[in-house]
Amino acid sequence: MRKILTVAIVIFICSCGSNSKQVPDWKDAAFRQLENYKVNFLTGKEDASEPHFDKARQAASGGNDLNLLARIYLNKYALHTAALEDFDDSEFIRINKIQPIASNFAYYNFLKGNFTAVEDSLLPSNYSGFIKIARSKDLAKAIQEIPSIDDPLSRLIACGIWVKCLPYDENILQTAINVSADNGWKRPLWAYLTKLQKYYLDRGETAKAESIKERLELLKK
Amino acid sequence: MSREYKVGLFIICTTIVICLTLLYLAREKGFFTTVYTFTLSSKTGESFTEGMPVVFSGFNIGKVHALELNDKGIVLIKIKIPQRHVKWIRTDSSFVLYRPLIGVARILVTTDNLGSPPMPENKIPEVGIINDINDAIEKVQPLLEKITQIAENLERLSRKVDAMAAKTDEQIFGKDGTLPNINKILKDVAGKMEKLNTTVDNINKISKDASEGMKDFRTLRSDIDDTVKVLDNVAREIDTILSRKKEPEIKVP
Repeated sequence: MRKILTVAIVIFICSCGSNSKQVPDWKDAAFRQLENYKVNFLTGKEDASEPHFDKARQAASGGNDLNLLARIYLNKYALHTAALEDFDDSEFIRINKIQPIASNFAYYNFLKGNFTAVEDSLLPSNYSGFIKIARSKDLAKAIQEIPSIDDPLSRLIACGIWVKCLPYDENILQTAINVSADNGWKRPLWAYLTKLQKYYLDRGETAKAESIKERLELLKK
Repeated sequence: MSREYKVGLFIICTTIVICLTLLYLAREKGFFTTVYTFTLSSKTGESFTEGMPVVFSGFNIGKVHALELNDKGIVLIKIKIPQRHVKWIRTDSSFVLYRPLIGVARILVTTDNLGSPPMPENKIPEVGIINDINDAIEKVQPLLEKITQIAENLERLSRKVDAMAAKTDEQIFGKDGTLPNINKILKDVAGKMEKLNTTVDNINKISKDASEGMKDFRTLRSDIDDTVKVLDNVAREIDTILSRKKEPEIKVP
């Protein structure tokens, strides 16, 4: 009985090994470095994030895959949008000129707020409902739609695009704050809190603005 | 013509020529001109001398002939003016004794109105005195006083400067003066510089050691890289074998 069990385990392990396909080193490295970059960026570790991005970019360059390189840049732009920051899109434009890929360009337009130039089917499925609402600029629907996006990063990106490109209110900002806080994403959290403080100040709600300011000061210590 | 006759003729001619020459010279020297004598008066005879020139507009027109003292103690100065110059001497002429700082004293005649009648010889005008030397001395006197004062001041100043120089000497070169202190400081600095040399040598040594150490670091780094790579490969192998991990795909978020 013991012999049969041992032989069965060996056969199982061998079968596992023989079926598995070896992932190229560069692709694996690019993936892992990009994931590390995302985590470091969102958690506010600026010094650590950029080297990871560079490594991801270099790894993708090694594979001579411009599509992959373009997606790495789009990931970076998406994170900046999620943190309400501007980004330098020159590298993506260069890549797109050499090897234009419709889905990448659609995502780029989506991040830049050119909603009419975006074909819905080319966007990730997360945003299929959001893009329609964004085109109609319906804030009330957006407040309902955004929390229904499953992926928290996609939810934050949607908030970022809305706040940067369309008229917003405190509900959207609060949604983004909640997403950031739930995941411990310090960088977007501070950005949305600052935006919320400015929102209150613009409307003369100084007490609320002051409260947000104090909260920010405490969090940044 | 006999020899005696020729000699006689020569002597007569010579005598005639000599006489004519003498006559000409006498005439030129005014021997035959009429000379007018005028008398001037002065309270003092100082500076007046016989033969002193009488000058009109810068030209000699006569000279002092004699000096006399009258009963009242007034000095009478007799001047002789030849006839050709007497026209310059008029009733309103004034006479001044001019004693320049440089040159001989002379009597200056000034006639404002040449149309006035000629001066009679019995009129005795008084001689004014212009004394350049005295004037100069009078003018120089206050200057001299000032110069004396300045000299005294200079002397006083010089004494002060001397005293100050002595003090400065003491302050600079004295026992506790600046220069010995500077020397002391320089010696200190030199001593410290020597110590610094040792420090610089030490720093060089440390830098060299650090440089050598860096080589070790590089080796260490490459070793660590190798180890990490090996571990990474092992992890990936295990991952592939155990979890049937799918090929990672980079997607836009």
